[in-house]
Amino acid sequence: MTDPSVPTGIVITGLSHDYTPRAGTRVRALEDVSLTVATGSFHALLGPSGCGKSTLLYCIGGFLPVQTGSIRTDRGLVTDPGPDRGVVFQNFALFPWKTVLQNILYGIGKRGIRGAEARDRAQHFIDLVHLTGFEASFPGQLSGGMQQRAALARTLAAEPDILLMDEPFGALDAQTRRIMQEELLGIWRQTRQTVVFVTHDVAEAVYLSDAISVMSARPGRIRRTLSAGFNRAADPAVFKRPDFTEQVELIWQMVRAEVDDARRPAPA
Amino acid sequence: MIGRIALRCSAFLVLLAGWEAANRLGLIRPFLLPPLTAVAARLVADVASGAFFLNAAVTLYRTLAGFALACVIGIPLGILISRRKLVGWFVEPIVSVGFPMPAIAFLPIFMLWFGVFDLSKIVMTGFSAVFTVIAAADAGTRGVERQLTWSAQSLGATRAELFRDVMLPAAMPQILTGLQVALPLALIVEVASEMLMGGTGLGGMMVNAENYADSVGVYAGIVEIALVGGIAVALMARLRRHLLRWHPEAAG
Repeated sequence: MTDPSVPTGIVITGLSHDYTPRAGTRVRALEDVSLTVATGSFHALLGPSGCGKSTLLYCIGGFLPVQTGSIRTDRGLVTDPGPDRGVVFQNFALFPWKTVLQNILYGIGKRGIRGAEARDRAQHFIDLVHLTGFEASFPGQLSGGMQQRAALARTLAAEPDILLMDEPFGALDAQTRRIMQEELLGIWRQTRQTVVFVTHDVAEAVYLSDAISVMSARPGRIRRTLSAGFNRAADPAVFKRPDFTEQVELIWQMVRAEVDDARRPAPA
Repeated sequence: MIGRIALRCSAFLVLLAGWEAANRLGLIRPFLLPPLTAVAARLVADVASGAFFLNAAVTLYRTLAGFALACVIGIPLGILISRRKLVGWFVEPIVSVGFPMPAIAFLPIFMLWFGVFDLSKIVMTGFSAVFTVIAAADAGTRGVERQLTWSAQSLGATRAELFRDVMLPAAMPQILTGLQVALPLALIVEVASEMLMGGTGLGGMMVNAENYADSVGVYAGIVEIALVGGIAVALMARLRRHLLRWHPEAAG
């Protein structure tokens, strides 16, 4: 029942995704996306808003159906949501009627672990995200940053093979975001899970990732995948290094081109 | 604190004072509006003889049984309507026709089917309350963020478990609002059924007093119903505060 998480990669082949808005015609959100996320790597999906990067993440999560193409992990084809793929959302999506502890116990309980062992495990992850002392608080009583720590702990406590993060720090203020980025890297260096991290913040992507896939505006395609690798060494001054700023600038130019492309009116 | 309570009671005190004064000044015939003191004396007598507790217990039993029936059927059905298209298509037209119907109009049918004792009144009460409960559960579940259900699924919840683990608690604020409307409704319809069918219960006692031209008994009955209703509504509000202690409204 409690098989430990095994790192696994993700292989996406020829994935396209259409959706129909409530009132309107079919929109193509993803077009022929092929992407390999290496086992144990931190992989960022970067692109302008509306480029389908969240849609891609939701497909990997199994929340949206795979229509064309395939998504495969080491456990097989992705068809449904499952506890092998944990997810952290921008709006935290904690259960507001459960305390921090109860939220974190939820996934642990679903794995069949109960009683003192479950509590110890939950406490370990609460301590890991520095929420010690807030076990009995309801999410509504916490700041945004603390809610996101709780959401991260809840996901980590279920010990998924793959961590899917959908602009997790997008709703936080700049200082909190910076601290959360550092702590996430610190945790990831211990767990070495495969992470897919959606963001529109170029510096965040470069700071956190082994690899960065830049996506085009709608319909979403993978434009280029670059390697970064600043995340491997715990260097707090990495933001000031010339090769770091150079990399950010280079990728920013690529994203910028995508935004300009999307803005340009279609030829008549 | 005492000042606030006094302020809240002042409306009733004015009403009661006006009632007693109208009698003392001979403005109204005692048969049309008996003196407050006579009604109060009857209340005391009803409490002392135990008649009040017997009638209140019978009325509350049938009201709460019908209300429970409405909850057990209405909450799952309301959630299913919003989460399963097929159920929605099938049940929604029935609900939208049944909701605005005066439920009490079905009393003759329920008497025919379920007899003239407790069962027909319980079904009647449940029927009158169930539509409000369905509508509240439906509306409450519709607003559930998809990220919440996705989180539960990626933590290992099955689709069936989502109803208990996510839908029900997420819809609880609106469900409780619906229950707070449905409970007095159930009590109203219960008393009305008793008044139409006679027998025991607060409504039955009132109709009995009416038959004997006992206007003091009728007024005492009204006060007793108001008392029971007021207590039931207050307990329901307390239950809401307890169940929603996680909700921002509880902080206010």
